[in-house]
Amino acid sequence: MALFQLDHVVHTYAGRTVLNIDQWRVPAGQILGLCGPNGSGKSTLLKLLGFVERPVAGTIQFQGRSCEPFADAVRGKVVLLPQTSFLLRRSVYSNVAYGLRIGHVKCDTAQRVRHALGLVGLDPEAFAQRPWFALSGGEARRVALAARLVLRPRALLLDEPTASVDTASAQMIQAAALYAHRQWGTSLIIASHDHQWLQDTCEDTVQLFRGKILGNGRKTLIFGPWRRRDDGIVQTTLAEDRQFLAVDPPAHLETAVAAIDARHLDLQTSPEPPPPGKTILEGTIVALGLEKSTDRISVSLAVGGIVFTTHLPRHALTTGRYTPGSTAWIVYAPDQVEWY
Amino acid sequence: MDFILQGFVQAIRLLTGGDPETYSAVFATVKVSSMAMAVSLFTGIPLGFCLGHFTFPGKRQVRLVVDTLLSLPTVFIGLMVYAFLSRQGPLGQMGLLFTLPGIAIGQTLLALPVVIALTATAVESMDADLRPSLLSLGANRRQLLTGSLWEARHGILAAAVTAYGRVMTEVGVSMMVGGNIKWHTRTITTAIALETSKGMFAMGIALGLVLLLIAFGANAAVSFLRRN
Repeated sequence: MALFQLDHVVHTYAGRTVLNIDQWRVPAGQILGLCGPNGSGKSTLLKLLGFVERPVAGTIQFQGRSCEPFADAVRGKVVLLPQTSFLLRRSVYSNVAYGLRIGHVKCDTAQRVRHALGLVGLDPEAFAQRPWFALSGGEARRVALAARLVLRPRALLLDEPTASVDTASAQMIQAAALYAHRQWGTSLIIASHDHQWLQDTCEDTVQLFRGKILGNGRKTLIFGPWRRRDDGIVQTTLAEDRQFLAVDPPAHLETAVAAIDARHLDLQTSPEPPPPGKTILEGTIVALGLEKSTDRISVSLAVGGIVFTTHLPRHALTTGRYTPGSTAWIVYAPDQVEWY
Repeated sequence: MDFILQGFVQAIRLLTGGDPETYSAVFATVKVSSMAMAVSLFTGIPLGFCLGHFTFPGKRQVRLVVDTLLSLPTVFIGLMVYAFLSRQGPLGQMGLLFTLPGIAIGQTLLALPVVIALTATAVESMDADLRPSLLSLGANRRQLLTGSLWEARHGILAAAVTAYGRVMTEVGVSMMVGGNIKWHTRTITTAIALETSKGMFAMGIALGLVLLLIAFGANAAVSFLRRN
């Protein structure tokens, strides 16, 4: 049974459609990342999945049951950590214990609160009685997360959990979320702009753009302006003498955005001529990262202002040719470019 | 200058000596303002919360009316309440004219717009993330309302103190509806007005000091509640 199932979900703000998902299914027990540029609908999707807002149209099922905000089936079971660390105007202890208190959860509240604070790296003795205003940004974020973890939810939705926190806090947030996944089987859905953090944490990622789900895996988005050539191919200039080519453009070329999946990008360290039907682009390797879930290396290659992401097997690094700052070439087929 | 200084000295003597006339006005003021505040807080906080929290057709117009009532002149309220409570008025048979409950009715009308408007403002200015946070922690509808009310408590306290200040310091309602009857409906403010017109500065200053003391006590209590 799917954890979430969305059917024909549409959401609008002030008459503007911000989310439009025909069908989407999230399996239970997954750690799923949501990525996409600002305004792509990540936060809205999390609010709908967290049942804090009701979609304008469509249905959202949680564990096979169609649910709405305030439904008993979701209260305390699906929890959302919003983008900003909002804390109630009371002590840290009261903030963390709030969900247990209003949910009338029968347990040793003090012990559960201490455990949750410990999970996010806050010493219960030092922090429990602190008022909400005596916390740093990173501490407030972690208290907000502890207030969710104390409920031991079935689904934990994190909206930009590491935004404006330092590296140490980001690591503690990651460790706490992964603990919940491991110990209680909590499914995690995380929206973040921190690709490296997302890559380290998630088993799979889903890309959103303009309120639509583009699909699983990493995609590189290429914005125009596009120019149509005489041979039917369209191109946009990424850097001097470096054009990104694509075919089969949509009618609305002025506003069209192209996307290419990381799986369709090959990387090479010399400018060998590409095979027939493919094209080549020179760029600079700007980052390398280990994808823990797949044990692959993700390579970010900048061509002008666009950063393409592709993957290499881990052993490829032993050649020593893939290092940040070195020149490399990506090879792709223009007919594998998708349009939005 | 001397008569002012003597007034202060005399005022201290009246207060420390337990002058019955002075304390009669103090007790009448505390009694009538407590009645007015109890009713205006009991009805004004829920109304103000609804006005700030919910969206409904005509909300802006209701808000405009409430905001306009904030500047109601006390003599006009006194006049209207007098008209209603007088023998020819619709509530004349209740016999409330020239009584403390009669003054309390007028002061309730004075305090109610203050409580409603400031509570609504406190609720409106609450963090937009409060609702999603409470919902995501498992709040039901009732818990969402009580949780929001609790989060707005500082603003609501400020509304209560402001309304209390208005009620304590008004003269128009007490004078017109109460009639400034010695030992009966004479409040601090009506007594000050009367004593000043008689040239009796000492009692006026003594009563003024009591008013200041009550205001200080109310604000100290709010400050204590805020800190906790």
